[in-house]
Amino acid sequence: MAKRRLSDLRKAQMRAGYLFVVPSFVLYALFVLVPVAITIVLSFTYYDISFGADWVWFENYQRFFGESRSITIFWNTLRFAFFAVTGNVLVGLLLALALNRAMPGWLLYFFRLAFFLPVIISAAFVAVVWSYFYAVDFGVINYYLNVLGLPAVPWLTSSKVAMTSIVIMDVWKNTGFFMIILVAALQGVPQPIMDAASMDGASPWRRFSRITLPYISPVLFFCIVFATIGALQVFESITILTGGGPGDSTRSLSIYLVDEAFGSFELGYAAAVSVVMMLLVLIVTIIQLVGSRRLVEA
Amino acid sequence: MQTRSMQTKRAARNVDIAIIAVLTVMGVLMLMPFLWLFSMSFRPAAEAYKMPPSFLPPTLDLSNYQTVLNSAVPFLKIYWNSLYVAVLLTIGQLVTCTLAAFAYARLRFPGRDSLFFVMLIGLMFPAQVTILPIYLGYAKVGLLNNPLGLVLMGLTSSFGVFMLRQFLRSQPKELEEAALMDGAGYFKIFWRISLPQLRPALAAPAIITFTGAWNSYFQPRALIESQQAMTLPIAMDLLRGYMSQGNLSVVMAAMSMSILPVVLLFLVAQKMVIQGVTFSGIRN
Repeated sequence: MAKRRLSDLRKAQMRAGYLFVVPSFVLYALFVLVPVAITIVLSFTYYDISFGADWVWFENYQRFFGESRSITIFWNTLRFAFFAVTGNVLVGLLLALALNRAMPGWLLYFFRLAFFLPVIISAAFVAVVWSYFYAVDFGVINYYLNVLGLPAVPWLTSSKVAMTSIVIMDVWKNTGFFMIILVAALQGVPQPIMDAASMDGASPWRRFSRITLPYISPVLFFCIVFATIGALQVFESITILTGGGPGDSTRSLSIYLVDEAFGSFELGYAAAVSVVMMLLVLIVTIIQLVGSRRLVEA
Repeated sequence: MQTRSMQTKRAARNVDIAIIAVLTVMGVLMLMPFLWLFSMSFRPAAEAYKMPPSFLPPTLDLSNYQTVLNSAVPFLKIYWNSLYVAVLLTIGQLVTCTLAAFAYARLRFPGRDSLFFVMLIGLMFPAQVTILPIYLGYAKVGLLNNPLGLVLMGLTSSFGVFMLRQFLRSQPKELEEAALMDGAGYFKIFWRISLPQLRPALAAPAIITFTGAWNSYFQPRALIESQQAMTLPIAMDLLRGYMSQGNLSVVMAAMSMSILPVVLLFLVAQKMVIQGVTFSGIRN
């Protein structure tokens, strides 16, 4: 009797388990797993919306790594990621170090407001504002440069400057995120050790490099990985500021993918571009898994 | 000896003050784009490009706002679409994620851990790898140019499931076991015990989902072309195009209205928003 009730209970639990998991899992399969699989298959085909797919093996990938245009775009993306990540994490760290001291609550509220507000507003909105800041003739920044007697800068119209302008906006927008995470990490650095070190006459730089840095290095590493994954997907800020131009000088993989898919309807090729992006993100994720294990062990 | 330590203390205090002063200047600079867009939205359209730029509203004349509402762009419809997508997504995710989190955290059934693991893999895929098949599928079933399509594709989140499961596992189990002994069904246990336990943890994912949906650009841009179905981020381009001829202040009026919900959310619940957004970062 008791045995039967136990197995009934187990069955009821099983039924409930599947029932509760089904909505999220079905949606997840439908909108993530299956599309990823289809994208991978699609990347080996030449796909035409009205005529269907032709299997072409690695042709799309050969095209991607063979054309100088796509290679330029590939490097653009990596270059943007490198500078945006460095800028975001470095500025975020400096801000965190500056913020990590006693101050009145209202001041803290103001700093959090000022540095974090850009993080939560879509780049699609703020990039429009920045495009007016960066305008050559009627731009806000050039107006002040002019007041200071400096020459106007072609922020978005010169292929030499445009990428820098986009990185600047990206750092403005995202650095607050890393600041907040690093402030939390800095608060975990034990104060007694810091006090003892300054009693022994250790200079601020020595205290930073020998005590603070080792303590926060796992978090710093996480910040770099997280920033990299985000930067590799950069899309809206560039779309709105330059549309990828001038020429291809600021075109990123995401923009290229959308152009190819919805502009030229080269869906098979666009799928190959997105698989390349997925592999980049995957590599960074693997580096993170290996690296964080190392850091935890060390 | 004492005077020396007092001197170093005073020096340290001066350093603090200097750093805070620098931070304040930087903070004001960070806010400049927002101050500019807000004050621009009140500038008479004719003076939009007049220099110097203003960072405080010169008047409180709402005529630019009226122009946006009366323009050829269906701004109110677009605004409604954004609200519709963000609100439905948030509610939908809360439902699917709490249910799944409960099952993964509390129930035993064959394949549970593998299902959960497969769900976690979803954290790795950027939106770019799923968009083409979704586009093709939506084209077949008529969900292109439909805000409902944006809702459906985001109704669940690997991250939400993961986060809520972790939270639930940190909560005591005794109440549930007692309820089970009393013969309560699993849905009742979920509704009466686990959901109340989860309540403090729901604000963070809800905020992330809402702001994420409100700000989303890549997917709407790929799936929506018609003005009637647009959400605000992709409509900005449209507004800019229609109104750029000397009507900068009108664009900025549209912009002020577009960022308003998120800014308000942030002003009212600063701590919670920061927690939510940074939490979504620290998923490992």
